Amino acid sequence: MSAIVLENISKFFGAAAAVDDVNLQVETGEFVTLLGPSGCGKTTTLRMVAGLEQNSTGRISIGGEVVSDAAQDFFIPPERRHLGMVFQSYAIWPHMTVFDNVAYPLRIRRKSAQEIKDRVERALKLVEMGRFADRPAPALSGGQQQRVAIARALVFEPRVLLLDEPLSNLDARLRTQTGDEFRQLQKRLGITSLYVTHDQGEAMALSDRVVVMSMGKILQVGPPEDIYQRPHSRAVAAFFGSPNFIEAEVKACRSDTGGTFVLELDGGWIGPCHSTHEIKPGNKAAVMVRPENMRLVSGDRGPSATGMAWKGIVKESIYRGAHRSVMLDTSAGNLNIDLTALENPAVGAQVDVFAAENSAWAVPI
Amino acid sequence: MTSNTADAIPRNQPIAMPAPLQSFAQRLFSGRNVLVVSLVAILSFLAVYPLAMLLYGSLHSTPPGMAGEFNLNGYKSILNWSNTVVLLNTVAISLGKTIPSLTLAVLLAWIIARTDTPWRDKLEVLITLPFFIPPILTAMAWGMLGNPQVGLLNQVWKWATGATVSPINVYSYGGVIWHMMQYSTPFLFLFIVDIFRAMDPALEESSRMCGASRWRTFRLITLMLMLPALTNSFILSLIRGIESFESPLFFGTPAKIEVITTEIYNSINHRATPDYQYATALSFAIMVMMFLLVVWQWWLLKGRTFTTVTGKGYAPNIMKLGKWKWVTFSFCILFFVITVVLPVGQLLIGSFFKFFGFYSYDMLTTEHYVAVFNNAEVWRAMGNTMLLGLLGATAVMILGSIVAYVSVRTKWRGRRLIDGLAWLPWMMPGMVLGIGFLWAFAMLPGPIPIYGTIWALMLAYVALGTPISVRVMSSAYAQLSYDLEECSRVHGATFMQTMWRILIALAWPSFAVGWVLAFFGIMRELSASILLYSVGSEVLSVVLLRLWANGLAEQVSVIGLMMMLLVILFRWVQLKLIKSRISTL
Repeated sequence: MSAIVLENISKFFGAAAAVDDVNLQVETGEFVTLLGPSGCGKTTTLRMVAGLEQNSTGRISIGGEVVSDAAQDFFIPPERRHLGMVFQSYAIWPHMTVFDNVAYPLRIRRKSAQEIKDRVERALKLVEMGRFADRPAPALSGGQQQRVAIARALVFEPRVLLLDEPLSNLDARLRTQTGDEFRQLQKRLGITSLYVTHDQGEAMALSDRVVVMSMGKILQVGPPEDIYQRPHSRAVAAFFGSPNFIEAEVKACRSDTGGTFVLELDGGWIGPCHSTHEIKPGNKAAVMVRPENMRLVSGDRGPSATGMAWKGIVKESIYRGAHRSVMLDTSAGNLNIDLTALENPAVGAQVDVFAAENSAWAVPI
Repeated sequence: MTSNTADAIPRNQPIAMPAPLQSFAQRLFSGRNVLVVSLVAILSFLAVYPLAMLLYGSLHSTPPGMAGEFNLNGYKSILNWSNTVVLLNTVAISLGKTIPSLTLAVLLAWIIARTDTPWRDKLEVLITLPFFIPPILTAMAWGMLGNPQVGLLNQVWKWATGATVSPINVYSYGGVIWHMMQYSTPFLFLFIVDIFRAMDPALEESSRMCGASRWRTFRLITLMLMLPALTNSFILSLIRGIESFESPLFFGTPAKIEVITTEIYNSINHRATPDYQYATALSFAIMVMMFLLVVWQWWLLKGRTFTTVTGKGYAPNIMKLGKWKWVTFSFCILFFVITVVLPVGQLLIGSFFKFFGFYSYDMLTTEHYVAVFNNAEVWRAMGNTMLLGLLGATAVMILGSIVAYVSVRTKWRGRRLIDGLAWLPWMMPGMVLGIGFLWAFAMLPGPIPIYGTIWALMLAYVALGTPISVRVMSSAYAQLSYDLEECSRVHGATFMQTMWRILIALAWPSFAVGWVLAFFGIMRELSASILLYSVGSEVLSVVLLRLWANGLAEQVSVIGLMMMLLVILFRWVQLKLIKSRISTL
């Protein structure tokens, strides 16, 4: 049974559609991330699941129970949906202690004092905040507030956990660490999580599946590897990093296993390339190659049979510590390549660049 | 910060003086110290000097300026049973108006900030308007509306029901409280509506997600988060209630209900021989009480200001009311009708009938307009009020801008002292400051004739207005980042150029808004004016009171209407400015 089902969900603010006909299923125990630039409708989608916004069209079900159906004018308010939520600003109530903050959902549900004490202590222990129980909330750092917010969202064992950019107010180092810890916790508890972020790295590292959104629509849903390496469209491909797109003409197209296609392409070199789209011979396609999947080869080696190669001149070289970014001028246009930090081709030097066949992916233009 | 960098630059001047002495002299006479010292001197003259004179006068047996001896008779004479009643009256009336006002203000603020009531922005302007009307005008209007014999409301009620007994008598505790509420509700509203707006909506949403209903969330989260600010507003309103003069003067005194301010006033103006020592001792006692209240306020608020509430601007949660939005809309309109339309309508009606209370067709007349326009005293008072308003508001704002700059933007030594001195008049009721200045002027060395001129009033107005002007300008500066100033300095502008081209250029809308506020403050001021005016230096509020006392309610209505026009004009200008720039109040 799916934990969350969204059917034809839209949200209109005036005439503008913030969310436009979204369909999504989240399975029990799954960690799904809504990813997209600001204003793409991801937060609005989350808030509609929470019940903080009312969907203009469509139906939302949580745990098999319909919570909102625009056609029937049926709407269950947020407090009766039994969901946990972590807000971007954490929303820790400053007039309460840490304990009171976490105890709040249980007190609302009129649990006994002993049960409240036990469960709050357990929840705080879970996020390693046990010794801070008596602190007044304003005396916490951002990272600690975030942990309290998670404890508060988990303490009443909600059906689903909703997270609205919970890491964006933390500094970079803490963000990675907290994210990893949270993912471990989520796996251990097996709680269904719907997570909103604009940070691609976060989405990759945490999710079972990523939902890429743009302008209120879903562009692609899939595991992180699919989204990153096998995008449906140029827009999805371009959303992560700054990949190279090489225009090529399709010579032949045949079906492959797993619903993909193998294209025979001519783009200054001739070779096969995979795609989710069937593109008829004679049409153009864009071949996506990510900078980190390209490398320099010694000049005397010819183009390999299982990959693509170009000759080029180094135009720019930027040392970035962990790696070096190089821009080449080639017959296929300007190509960005990430080299190891130890390589240092001179600007103006002629080089051969190579990309393995499995690193290339074709999308329609 | 900026000035520190200026001092770090070594100055090579060929003066034959030992180096340490030279730098000492430089520091002593540097622009900064001159400024700090003169600010301290000005503010001390405006606040500390009259306060000290108050203490002096309370121990002095004769009126200001006469030879006498020192004794404790003043304090002995205020300690009696009737003054205990006066004190209890004062506190009870102030509490009695603060609690309903605060409730009403929270309700109105919630409607305006958090519901989808139609035309909320327009309603907000209407709701806050009563705050800007001089209390003396509405006091007189309500005196006519709620007069037990001939009041318009009573007449309408009798006509409509056939009753013979008047239901309303404004000359009562209820009347005093009712009149005060018309001011404190919009005053509190101005504070509270911003708190509602500044609250992070996630704080409430997370409560909903935790399973709390809307109403529970309001009780457990919204109200609790606002509690420090509400406490603050409560005490502020309580203090203003104790200071209030017009309401008890108009509605309390006729019913033998006396409060501290009217008791002070009566002991000087309505006794065969003015008892200055008694009045001064009472004034000093009320100052001590104010001070204790302020200390209590500090103690209550210590460490309890939640930064989450005063954070950046959020889009607040708007509650959809459905059909109920017309109820809330009507409620706001009703508030406006009762606090503005009724009194102003009464002034309008009153000005066109021969005698107020006798409203029939053949009584229609314009003779009161003629009488007012031919009254030289009214014109003189009008001129005085305008002159004092224009000069006083300008002086208050310039002083406030400089004080706020020094206390907010610099790390100079003495800035805390300056800030404290500028704030001191805030807890002095106008009446008390007036008496303090009476003594202060009398004790000035001979050839400085301030008393009896309009400058006496001017000094009192500047003192009373400074705390507000400092507040307005401080918040204006606080919104401007240091970077703006520092960037200007880095790009080659001098300190003065930076002031002129950056700070003043950016802060002038706040300056203008504050100026209008100060002007309103001067136009409405009665309690200090009534003590400090003399023949030739009357202001409008004083003339109004005298005409009223002489039973010329109809002429009062004419003048009142003219003042109303002025209020609406200035408020309109102020709102235009606020709309185009950052709001401060």
